[in-house]
Amino acid sequence: MIDRFREIATRLEDQPHLLRLGRLFSETVLIEIEGDEIYLTFDTGRIVSVVAGPSRKTPWRFALRTDADALEQFWQARPAPGFHDVFGLAKIGRGRIDGDILSLVKNLRFFKEVMALARCKEEAAA
Amino acid sequence: MSIEPITGRYITVEIAGAPRRIYFEEAGQGRPVLCLHTAGADTRQWRHLMNDAKVTADHRLIAFDMPWHGKSLPPEGFETEEYLLTTEDYIETVLAVVAGLGLERPILAGCSMGGRIALQLAALHPEHFGGFIAIEASDFQPAWYDIDWFHRPDAHGGEMGAALVSANISPYAPNAERWNTLWMFMQSGPGVFRGDLSFYTRDDSLIGRLAQIDTGKTPVHLLVGAYDLTCTPEDAKRTAAAIPGATVSVMDELGHFPMSEHPQGFRPFFLDALARMPRVAAQAA
Repeated sequence: MIDRFREIATRLEDQPHLLRLGRLFSETVLIEIEGDEIYLTFDTGRIVSVVAGPSRKTPWRFALRTDADALEQFWQARPAPGFHDVFGLAKIGRGRIDGDILSLVKNLRFFKEVMALARCKEEAAA
Repeated sequence: MSIEPITGRYITVEIAGAPRRIYFEEAGQGRPVLCLHTAGADTRQWRHLMNDAKVTADHRLIAFDMPWHGKSLPPEGFETEEYLLTTEDYIETVLAVVAGLGLERPILAGCSMGGRIALQLAALHPEHFGGFIAIEASDFQPAWYDIDWFHRPDAHGGEMGAALVSANISPYAPNAERWNTLWMFMQSGPGVFRGDLSFYTRDDSLIGRLAQIDTGKTPVHLLVGAYDLTCTPEDAKRTAAAIPGATVSVMDELGHFPMSEHPQGFRPFFLDALARMPRVAAQAA
């Protein structure tokens, strides 16, 4: 699964509009998948490190906790209802978001579109 | 070059004892259909249907911007007022527009908060309408987010609001219309989306009124998109079940803003809804 996030980091470099939207976002985000931790560190909109946990010493701003199947469904070109959005995962009980939610909401479009970069095909929408 | 058949004008009506200058658009002839936009948006959500010759061949579609929205200015003194929409003000506004435009028992088609108020009007003032099309409408939705996020000095409420409501747009929506839909939220005035959501997420007075809706006199048809996270199909079905005689259709590939996010996908459902509404005798031209 960590390879998918490394793929996202690479694809982000080819998305100038996202780099512009995220230019004020320099935070670490925890992605927890069935207990496995992945730390995404952003620096002015770029993902500069993708590091597997576990870690008790890595501070993070907010976290998305979900499961592998939910993420794979989220990354389908046309996900089923609820799996089509990061907040949707939370709404249908397949994800949980915690930490500094306001930081997430201020950067919500950016974060959603970054997460969706692993979607299957060109017409996938965030 | 093309010029659309939609025309826009202003009407001044009295609401809460003070004048309000309301912007409205219309297209078509025949049975009047008054269309209500969602929270945080405006009349532009209806433009596809108003440009649809099959719809307007025998229907006069009218849509208006609520005060504080689109081209309808907020009331005098707004600069010191906290905008919080109430059921009472919303009902008064819709009835004032119906009376001001001389609409004779129009069909009321509302989406989201517009659908909520349509059901309130079905319960409380049905004599003014011919029937109700309640889109993405339900009895009550508590917020699954903090509405105060959308009005704060250190962030852009419109951009945050658009990013939030994008959760309610179907992945089947054409990309251009997805972003046209979100643009309206990005343009929404400071605090307006929050004030609309205050009505939508805090007033549960409709729940106890659903059973008094008489669908024998004014039919009620609900439309709900499967990708609507805010008003889910389960929410709409529960609401329809509480209204004797109400019907509901689930739109598998649509979300919370069907007429705006995916007009072609919504079109057959809207035409079907119109066909379920009765033809009343005299119709204003």
